[in-house]
Amino acid sequence: MKRAIAAVAALAISLTLSTLLTGTSQPTGFSEIYPAVVCPPTLNGLSSQISISSRKTQFQNLENRSTKTMPFNVLRYPVPKASLIISATGVTPVVWQSRTRSWAGGTICSGPAASQWFVGASSDVRSRGRLIIINSGLSDAIVDVQAFSENGKQPVKSLELKSKSFSVLSLDSLATGDQKLAVHVVPRSGRVNSFMIDELGAGLQTLGGDFVNPMASESKLLIIPAIPNQLSRKGVKAAGAHTLRILSVSETDAYFTLEVLSADGSFVPVGFNSRKIASGIVTEFALSPKISASAFAVRITSDEPMVASISSTVNIAGRKDFVWSVPTPALVPMAIALTGLSPLIAFAGDVIKVKMQITFVNGKTSSVSIVGTDIATYRVPPAARAVSILKISSNTYAGALVASANGYGYIPITPGSLLTKVEIPRSNIRVLIP
Amino acid sequence: MAAEAALARHIVSAIIVTHDGQTWLPETVAALTSQTRPYDQVLAVDTDSHDASVRLLKSARIPIINAQRDCGFGEAISLGVNSLKPSTPGGNEWIWLIHDDCAPAPSALENLLMTVDDRPHVAMVGPKILGWHDRTHLLEIGVSISGNGARWTDLEPLEYDQGQHDGIREVLSVSTAGALIRRDIFEELGGFDKNLALFRDDVDFGWRVRVAGHSVIAASSAVMFHAQASATERRTVDVKGAIFQRPLLLDRRNAAYVLLANSSWWMIPWLLLQLFGSAIARAGGYILGKLPGYASDELLALIALVIRPGLIIKARKDRKAKRLVSSRIVSTYIPPLRSQLRLSTLRFTEAIRSKLLPSSDTSNISILDSAEDEDLLVPTKNTHWFRLLGKPEVAGFIFLAIITLISSRNRLGALIGGALATSPDGARDLWGSYFDSWHMVGMGSAQASPPWMAILAILASILFGKAQLLITLLFLTAPLLMMWSSLTLCRKLSRNSWISVPASLLYAISPVAIAAINSGRLATVVVLIVAPLIPQLLDDWKNIELLPWRRIYTSVFVVGVLYAFTLLTCLIGLGLVAFATFNDYHEFSVSKNRRLFTERMRKRLSLLIIPFILTAPYSFEALLSPTRFLTEPGLALAGGGTEHVLFGNPGGVGALPPWLVSPILLILIVGLFSSSRAKEISIYGVGFLSAGILFSSFSISTHGDSANVRVWVGTFLVGATLCAVAACVVILDRLRSILVSTNVHFRHLFAALLLLFTALYSITSISWLVSLGATSPVQSSTSTVMPAYLSVERDTKTLVLREVGPSNAKTIQYYISRGKDIALGEPDVAPKQNLELGNATQALIDGSGIFSSKTLAAFGIKYVFVKSPFDRTIIRTIDGIGGFTRTSATSTGVVWRVAGVTGRLVFIGKDGVSQILETGEVGALTSVVQPGRVLLTENFDRSWQILENGSRLERVKSEQGLPLFIATQSGEISLLHDGTIRRAWLSFEITAWITLLVLALPSRRRKREFADKELS
Repeated sequence: MKRAIAAVAALAISLTLSTLLTGTSQPTGFSEIYPAVVCPPTLNGLSSQISISSRKTQFQNLENRSTKTMPFNVLRYPVPKASLIISATGVTPVVWQSRTRSWAGGTICSGPAASQWFVGASSDVRSRGRLIIINSGLSDAIVDVQAFSENGKQPVKSLELKSKSFSVLSLDSLATGDQKLAVHVVPRSGRVNSFMIDELGAGLQTLGGDFVNPMASESKLLIIPAIPNQLSRKGVKAAGAHTLRILSVSETDAYFTLEVLSADGSFVPVGFNSRKIASGIVTEFALSPKISASAFAVRITSDEPMVASISSTVNIAGRKDFVWSVPTPALVPMAIALTGLSPLIAFAGDVIKVKMQITFVNGKTSSVSIVGTDIATYRVPPAARAVSILKISSNTYAGALVASANGYGYIPITPGSLLTKVEIPRSNIRVLIP
Repeated sequence: MAAEAALARHIVSAIIVTHDGQTWLPETVAALTSQTRPYDQVLAVDTDSHDASVRLLKSARIPIINAQRDCGFGEAISLGVNSLKPSTPGGNEWIWLIHDDCAPAPSALENLLMTVDDRPHVAMVGPKILGWHDRTHLLEIGVSISGNGARWTDLEPLEYDQGQHDGIREVLSVSTAGALIRRDIFEELGGFDKNLALFRDDVDFGWRVRVAGHSVIAASSAVMFHAQASATERRTVDVKGAIFQRPLLLDRRNAAYVLLANSSWWMIPWLLLQLFGSAIARAGGYILGKLPGYASDELLALIALVIRPGLIIKARKDRKAKRLVSSRIVSTYIPPLRSQLRLSTLRFTEAIRSKLLPSSDTSNISILDSAEDEDLLVPTKNTHWFRLLGKPEVAGFIFLAIITLISSRNRLGALIGGALATSPDGARDLWGSYFDSWHMVGMGSAQASPPWMAILAILASILFGKAQLLITLLFLTAPLLMMWSSLTLCRKLSRNSWISVPASLLYAISPVAIAAINSGRLATVVVLIVAPLIPQLLDDWKNIELLPWRRIYTSVFVVGVLYAFTLLTCLIGLGLVAFATFNDYHEFSVSKNRRLFTERMRKRLSLLIIPFILTAPYSFEALLSPTRFLTEPGLALAGGGTEHVLFGNPGGVGALPPWLVSPILLILIVGLFSSSRAKEISIYGVGFLSAGILFSSFSISTHGDSANVRVWVGTFLVGATLCAVAACVVILDRLRSILVSTNVHFRHLFAALLLLFTALYSITSISWLVSLGATSPVQSSTSTVMPAYLSVERDTKTLVLREVGPSNAKTIQYYISRGKDIALGEPDVAPKQNLELGNATQALIDGSGIFSSKTLAAFGIKYVFVKSPFDRTIIRTIDGIGGFTRTSATSTGVVWRVAGVTGRLVFIGKDGVSQILETGEVGALTSVVQPGRVLLTENFDRSWQILENGSRLERVKSEQGLPLFIATQSGEISLLHDGTIRRAWLSFEITAWITLLVLALPSRRRKREFADKELS
């Protein structure tokens, strides 16, 4: 009996020891890094400034073959020509470009993208727009450019870009003569991101222009959070014309519903409930909601994945300009550099609860809480250099509208480069068996 | 009357040669004197017998000629013949040769004379020779010699004489025992060759008679009984030339002499080949049979002859002088090679059969029950095959075979998956990997290959080199083999097949067996098959001093096989020996019997240490990297946790789900409190289980995996499972009789509960096995990781990146490929992760690695291959990092070429320009055009050498820790990995295993050790 009890005791002891000794298996390690972001080059006749949050932020010219970087030393950097690669470390720089007395527009500097949709611009005779494709990698890149128009899918254009170079495509070459353009840029290899500038002109007369900001992927739910709605005021006649451009990218026709979110309430405008669009055909609809606010948002739901944008005409100092507002992904904690800009940030969502921190040029900070439903707006103080989004209610979207002397622009509030949490790879011979 | 007259025409002189033959001589003399046709004269030649032979001859009034003790048989006969009255020309004079250990039947001489009377061409006639001790067994009716020198009688061993060979037959020769030879021809040919003092003189003489144009016949009507005293070592052989008095040596030497002296000259090379070949083969057999003396006889006999070619030349010259016809005339009497092979095969299979299926000497049927009176017309009972299904053994095996087939439906082909790497195409690859001193795995490794590779290579060689077939067969038949081996154990514990068969079936479907097969655990599968044999071999483990050493060596051999597969068994052995030694010491402290204690220690330590030595250097290397004691062959896969192991389930991929609880723990606990032998068994079982639980908490990094994975404790659980099965058999065997004879009480309920629990486990586990179990990781597959186009370039290293793991927890992992998938045995020698390479790979993935390409190139990595499916973002990140050029993007994955000049062997000139040098599989023979440095992009090892103009180049470590050689001049260089140490270890291993095998095999007996009744 003694031996039996001893055996049971041994079993119990080993169980206890085993429980105590059991170490968790080596956790998977991660390497966290903010990929460098790339800003668009300044094309001929344009001027460009980049808003940065810190003077110490490092950058290098795209064409520079060296890997060395240098600090900006300023918070708003005028870009002479080249595209810049910026180690923004989590604060997204914003580019503001303009053609004097013609137009202005903004976009964020962003990291390499696996897919970019540009819904906007045209290829007709008025178009002076360009698609800028930048390869910021140290290897050559291959990029496919797929255009869609009111005439359907266009032939794919494949481009090969040398390392650290960019290519500029005229939009009128993508679907020559077509008015309604949507472009899908798909890098096959390389560290690529693209920008689109839509510029219209008739002869010597400029008809305005803007950045067409990209959206990463098609979706069945699209929120365009900030659409300028210029109201009539004394001496200024409201432009007030909005056009929805939409494309179903699936193989079948789609039904979509558009809902306007505004300070006056949410509603589906007449004709936008379960509206059918043909697959692969870029379609436009005029949108003229009767609302009193200076900005509104739209929510588009559909049964098939689609991409969309809204162009709005605006008057600036008696000149006509237009703005392309595009859908943004749901807001995440982030920081964006807005030095020199004083945008109106519009938040859209069923319930909006956003906590922000404004960092001023002098280094001081202040906290701001935004609470609302459907849509809420906040004007960033002129002395702010960065806005940090700290807390966000779920499914809240944001975009910014900037008015300047040269024109009106839309900036999506979304991080240009996400904190990339890359798993530290493990050496394991197991990879060599099927 | 005519017959008598015929017999009277012949004059017969009997010559008896005696040499210490008092044992047989009385009967010999009596037999001679009682011949129906008496000899005409008799004389004896005594070769200085030390016994009463001379006195016996004298008392029989036989005239004696005394000769020297070293006088050969032929010489003695010549002395005798010379002492006879001179022969008369034309007279029918015969000499009848009689050994002192042979006795002719009364009518022997008469029948011999009757046979030759009407055959004047016959010069030599011999009787049918039967055994002395068993006079029904045929020894010879004529004799010949085979090409390899064997004495050829064309009879089966111990062939029973039923008259099947009766008659008069032409033969090459007859034995001198009882041979009747015409005196004139005997004298004409010069008698027996003086160089053949004993043995084979008869064959030689017969051959010479034949080529002299005479005839030799054997007449079965004449019978002689022969003791073959010299050949069976019943007396010493003192003749001249019998080195060390060794009859076998003399026999073999004389056999070779006869062949070489008499055969045609152009046959001699072929004969020498046969003689040496068969001598080596026989010597090997004798060594295996632990008769080194006989083995040396075989070889020394030939050497003794070959070093004196003058003897053969002279003998051939003598024979040529008296040859009337060609030597080829005897070819009809020389057995062809196929007959020799047939006989050898027959003897070998008979020997195996008699070992495996020994015939019972005693009949179990009483003579009273024998059916002697049974009418032959009564129809015999027919055996209905379906009745076999009623036998638990047959039903059990068929049931298991069906389950196995269903659950293995996805394993009917080359297996891969789990811990099992790709099987190589053939045994040659396995042998190659085993013998190689350098393994082309990752950045290269000089670790010793595990000994199990040699075992698999041997088995694959038996299967005509089909290594893949071997692995498939092993995993397919493993459950049946497990059931068979455990059944042999259970049968020793219970005679009731209805207990032992289900118990062994449970062993074959135990959680550890299922997990081991499903996850490709080669070692655990082998341990499961072999483990039940060990308690049978060491059945008296406690009183191990009672076990003979041969049994210990056999056990060492079996344990050595287990060590070869996993050194976990070494830990188990250490535990068992420690436990037993503790008990021995306790006993010693009471009895003070030091001799007993020492004897036990010697045997126990032999079982522990010799297998460790046998598996060197693999086992010795484990002392430097102790994690090897906890590993299994193949890929490092995590085992389950304590909660699994407690119930006998090792866990991990392919294992039974945790809710499927086996009754192992329950049985062991019940066994602990049993009053039977099950208690002792259960103590061991609980010990195994406790060790398994303890070791399951450890995590180790090994076998090419840089991460820590939980130790697989399947080997411990084999012990626990086996003990549980054995305890269960003992308990149920005893319990059955108790339950039958007692009223219903708690034991009945408890037994019912145990059976119910066991049945529940059996049903659920079998259901799981045939359904979900069939989709376990080990599957037959022909798919590969590496695309074929990456295997085209030789000596190319490719960094392979892949997402591995379940879909919800995929992790990025990498390894360096040499252009092909990993093969069996390679994970076991895989080198440790190189830190610099690891950092470069990490930087490659997170996009910060602008210098990754330089690092990879420095290590000779030419390509980066990302296996699909893979995170597209990371693919783009690699695209964006400089130094990598995409070369392809297919459905299998994306390949980049690493920038820069890189290869396996890189020459860096004084100007800093790099140049790739051609290499072979491991070494290289190439040239350098100027002084410079030669970088070998393999892991550093002291055995790497480069020879240039006969001198070694200075070897240093590069910045990356790779071997770098300084070439001071231009010229041809030779790169090699010096495998001398590996070869030395292999020689040691082979010698050690063969020695152990010899010690473990049953000993053959010397001829003198045979009992008389075993001889004819």
